[in-house]
Amino acid sequence: MLLLEHLWIILALPLAGAAINGLCGKRWPKSAVNSVAIGSVSLAFLAAAETVREFSHLAAAQIPYVKSYFTWIVAGPFKVDFALQVDQLTVVMLLTVSFVGMLIHIYSTGYMAHEGGYYRFFSYLNLFKFFMLTLVLAANLIVMFVGWEGVGLCSYLLIGFWFLKKSAADAGKKAFITTRIGDFGFTVGVLLVFWTFGSVNFGDIFKSVSGMPAESMAQMGILTVICLLLFTGAVGKSAQLPLYVWLPDAMEGPTPVSALIHAATMVTAGVYMVARMHPLFSRAPIAMLVVAIVGALTAFYSATIGLVQTDIKKVLAYSTVSQLGYMFLACGVGAYGAGIFHLMTHAFFKGLLFLAAGSVIHAMGGEQDMRQMGGLRKKIPFTYWTMFIATLAIAGIPGFAGFFSKDQILEAVQSGPHANPLLWLLGVVGAALTSFYMFRLVFLTFFGAPRYDEHKVHVHESPVNMTVPLMILAFLSIFGGWFAAPKLVGGVDHFTKFLDPVFSSYALPGAEVAAEVPAEAAATPATELLHALTGVPVIVGILGLLLAWWFYIKNPETPKRLAQKARGLHALLLNKYYVDEIYAALIVRPLLWLSTNVFWHAVDEGVIDAAVNGTASVARASGGQVRKLQSGNARSYAAWIIIGAVGFTVLLLGLLGVVR
Amino acid sequence: MSIPLIVFFACALLAVAGAVTLILAREPVHSALALIVVMLSLAILYLLLGSDFIAAVQILVYGGAIMVLFVYVIMLLNAGAEERTDFSKLAKFAGVPLGFFLLLWTAHWLAHSPAGRAAGTGGAARHGVSTIDLSLLIFRKYLFPFEATSILILVAILGALVLARKSE
Amino acid sequence: MIPLPAEQLLNLHRVAPEVVLCVFGIVIMVVDPFVQAAGRRALGWLAFIGALTALASVHLAAHFPGRAYSDLVNVDRFSIFVHVVVIGAASLAILGSLDYLEGEGLQRGEYYALVLFATAGMGILAGANELVTAFIGLEMSSISSYVLAGFRRRALPSNEASVKYFLLGSFATAFFLYGIAMVYGATGTTLISGIQTFLVSLPPSQHLPALAILGLGLIFVGLGFKVVVAPFQAYAPDVYEGAPTPVTALLASAPKVATFALMLRVFYVSFGSAQHLWFWVIWISAVLTMFIGNLGALMQTNVKRMLGYSSIAHAGYILVAFAASTDLGIAAALFYLSAYVLMKVGAFLVVTHLGQQGERRLAVADYAGLGMKQPVLAACFSLFLFSLLGLPVTGGFLGKFFAFQSALDAKIVWLVVIAGINSVIGAYYYLRVIIAMYFWEPSQDYTPTPVAPALSAALLVAAAGTLYLGLLPTRVLVLAKAAADSLSLLSLR
Repeated sequence: MLLLEHLWIILALPLAGAAINGLCGKRWPKSAVNSVAIGSVSLAFLAAAETVREFSHLAAAQIPYVKSYFTWIVAGPFKVDFALQVDQLTVVMLLTVSFVGMLIHIYSTGYMAHEGGYYRFFSYLNLFKFFMLTLVLAANLIVMFVGWEGVGLCSYLLIGFWFLKKSAADAGKKAFITTRIGDFGFTVGVLLVFWTFGSVNFGDIFKSVSGMPAESMAQMGILTVICLLLFTGAVGKSAQLPLYVWLPDAMEGPTPVSALIHAATMVTAGVYMVARMHPLFSRAPIAMLVVAIVGALTAFYSATIGLVQTDIKKVLAYSTVSQLGYMFLACGVGAYGAGIFHLMTHAFFKGLLFLAAGSVIHAMGGEQDMRQMGGLRKKIPFTYWTMFIATLAIAGIPGFAGFFSKDQILEAVQSGPHANPLLWLLGVVGAALTSFYMFRLVFLTFFGAPRYDEHKVHVHESPVNMTVPLMILAFLSIFGGWFAAPKLVGGVDHFTKFLDPVFSSYALPGAEVAAEVPAEAAATPATELLHALTGVPVIVGILGLLLAWWFYIKNPETPKRLAQKARGLHALLLNKYYVDEIYAALIVRPLLWLSTNVFWHAVDEGVIDAAVNGTASVARASGGQVRKLQSGNARSYAAWIIIGAVGFTVLLLGLLGVVR
Repeated sequence: MSIPLIVFFACALLAVAGAVTLILAREPVHSALALIVVMLSLAILYLLLGSDFIAAVQILVYGGAIMVLFVYVIMLLNAGAEERTDFSKLAKFAGVPLGFFLLLWTAHWLAHSPAGRAAGTGGAARHGVSTIDLSLLIFRKYLFPFEATSILILVAILGALVLARKSE
Repeated sequence: MIPLPAEQLLNLHRVAPEVVLCVFGIVIMVVDPFVQAAGRRALGWLAFIGALTALASVHLAAHFPGRAYSDLVNVDRFSIFVHVVVIGAASLAILGSLDYLEGEGLQRGEYYALVLFATAGMGILAGANELVTAFIGLEMSSISSYVLAGFRRRALPSNEASVKYFLLGSFATAFFLYGIAMVYGATGTTLISGIQTFLVSLPPSQHLPALAILGLGLIFVGLGFKVVVAPFQAYAPDVYEGAPTPVTALLASAPKVATFALMLRVFYVSFGSAQHLWFWVIWISAVLTMFIGNLGALMQTNVKRMLGYSSIAHAGYILVAFAASTDLGIAAALFYLSAYVLMKVGAFLVVTHLGQQGERRLAVADYAGLGMKQPVLAACFSLFLFSLLGLPVTGGFLGKFFAFQSALDAKIVWLVVIAGINSVIGAYYYLRVIIAMYFWEPSQDYTPTPVAPALSAALLVAAAGTLYLGLLPTRVLVLAKAAADSLSLLSLR
């Protein structure tokens, strides 16, 4: 029980890697930086694996295994330990994060080989791993929040990694500020949790909440408020409507960053948090409904945008937003297991898609526009095949990882305890769209005639340290979902069963966990299999494939004609429903206008007076030899003081009740 | 109306008029002279309150020493009429009216407070403050702030020194 | 019976920090004329030693809690806490001034003497149990500040800052004094605890005396001016921008802490029974302060002025904790103040160094590429900015966290929501500087100058402190809580 006792080692390894590279990496050769970076994350993965092995020997009563290291903050009744915990949910996240993270680290050594600031990149990447693992292992909301904000900070640093590129810096800023809106909600949620339960430890919270009855649909109780606030944080972090706007812009960062942070790990933190807090959510039906609706709408909405994007990474970005929507949809209908399942398979195939896209971009010498690609199939076969597998997986073609997880989600939405036909419809249409835009991506990139100048662009397959991670992820994209396979023939869904202790121990008395819903009892294994293979999600997935084939291989002129015909719709989608513009017009610009015209020109520069201008800056501009002090401003400042004095004294006496 | 009351109002009016002149006068010398008027009327007010020691100090130190210093400085600097800068609109339309309102408003509450009513009957003036009382207050009860004031004055002198010093 | 002066000498240890500061200040003044221009730097070190000695003597005073000088001075955990923060801020500012003054050709003994006297004034403010004593302390710190703000006499902005600060400061002081007079008129005492006793002993059927409440309003004007809350904040950006940067570091930190301490005493102890009245004053002022501070900072291109606005915004966050008016709220406010002092002094000291001679380089654009040229300095500055922004693992985050927590505890939900909106707005302008430092092309005409040892020591302390408060806040929190408890012990509620 060495590592289970010392969970902190898992955190310390990437942190040490970050520190060593950050402090000494500047003077070191790349190979040394590589070994430190990859060494530390590989060791972290091994440590995680060993932890899981030890965990498997624990008795059920010992789970969740909580280890408190020291008391971190004490403020009156507010006490926070630096405590880590392991349970089944943690295990899934831990393995996914540390393994996919390791692969992406390896990949980065190839992808970033020619970039400046190499050591700094890896330092940030390791730091990110540290915070992400903290988030996953946390045993209370405060430690979790530190990880939560830490990954945000690293994401911001890594998006802006391509120095001196204004769009990258702007994207980083946008990501940071947008997620802060959510994080504020999250903070208040945490405060309310403490206020309500008197503790921030997961164990204590769940224990007290398990005695509470569920709130009704008509009641905006404290649990509902807490859950909605926490969900605000998830909406920001996991890029859901209406705060999703930062994620597509975040593609300005290097591709491995997009793969690691904006697909596989950080953005799923919101889903993880909702799943982690499920005892609260399960008792707040309004919040659950909101989660489900936001998830379904996002899944559908961003899939439509994905249909017309031409930048290969933007398509994947909108696809990520959409897939995250599915995970929330699952949580919203109470199928937390299915949500986490999809989180894991998504980490495999979306990580792979990004890495493969990076490989394409690498091969094309930096080109990201799919209209300038085509016919790459033969030239970069490894990339092509792995990407094709990932596409099959995300489209939900039977046998691939995405099929199992997406099927589970849609099944829960259709027939689970919180079934909702409308949401199901949205999910199914979204699945069709997903299949369409993903195959569109593949066909545009790898099929047809080359649309680039073959004399200028020397397409080459990526080095081996980039292709090997691709192949490993491709393997997982196929087989990563097979835990659930026995269910198709009437057997046990191993994944859901594994997670079951987490999601059933604090469930509402009498209520079943959605994922546990037994299939139709009478069905035989064979009909069961047939049923699953010919289910609606599979059909729409194949339909999407065929449609994409029809549009982009059979009749390549169709898309243009269609775009001509439905010009308004096309423009709407191409411009992402003008949401960025709407936000700018409604929020950003009024604020800046207020700041510039009211607070700067009027109040600050004293234009309100239209008299002499006394600010220091203006005075300096006029040459410095005018040594006459302007007192116009001083007078209006004094006037403000008088206004305040009158206002406050009148208010005070008014409240006292002596003024009539 | 009793005689002390008449004297009070006369001196109070004089003090206010002097203060207003002090601010409005353009020539520094006029301002200085107005200040003397303020100081002297204040001294009489103190006398009315029965604190003859303070009144004497007021005349000697403020009305005498400090004013002489002021006039000297003005003469030495040969300061001319002051220039006026534009008046702030905010101050003109909000600050000044509200300032007057605040004045009347506080006066209203002062007059209606128990302390204000007591003052109307000549409250404090009945038992005059003797030098002994004053010394006891300053050197015993308020010893600490009194000593702190000496540092305060030191700071003021130091500040004047810094600001007035020729630049190097 | 009031003790004789000779007996009162025995109480000197209770005001030991003030005595030490004044003695060092006077020594520096006396020595100054005999020191060659080249050796004046030593005076700065003397002042620094003085500040450290004062810090040590706080320890002495802490051993003798209780009242002194006919109850005018109070030594309790609250005043001890505030003393440490204030004197600590002053020591950092002195360290940061040494090389700045050298570079500007302003190395003078008076500067350091004034800083020490100002600090002594703030110490008096922190320990005062009586309003006239507090007034003397306030004036000591204010008058020194007026002069310090104008210390760069050849620079027009500095002159302007000094004059504006002086005029408006005197104006606000008049309100404060008038307020004291009214409170005295209504209650017959100027003792902070005496006012409380008077108000509490009123029969419950009777209104609180209107005159006292009116006086409270005027006192708020005077103190609000010094802690820079709206609508009395208008002067602050001009003064903070115009004053020499190390002075700005001092002005934006220590006086705020000391004045907040007095404000807490007056509002919470003296006027504790009028909490339902002044709550709304604090509430409105907090909202105005946060919005004006943050929106004002949003578009500033001058980093120094932007930080000036930011310190207005932070006063607003502290008011949020103030509005909670619980023990927890006071503890949160004290914790916030200590974190605030570290990050604000740190940030302004970075600006001090980067301003270069004559404070020419203050625009955001001048910070371009700093992350590559001076990575350590840029990292420190980022840390301070992140802390001001309220990111976890920094003192600023926990300060905000506890402030919001206490406000929620007191069910002041809307104020927390507004504070949250503001902290999001705030992210924008802090980030702009960080982005400039790391993501912009470095300007060619700037050659980095190495950070002098004294300044880097100050920066290191501030950075370490900011991290310490963010990582291991418990110790300071316990002290803050004890300080708050000692205050509420007085409040008899």
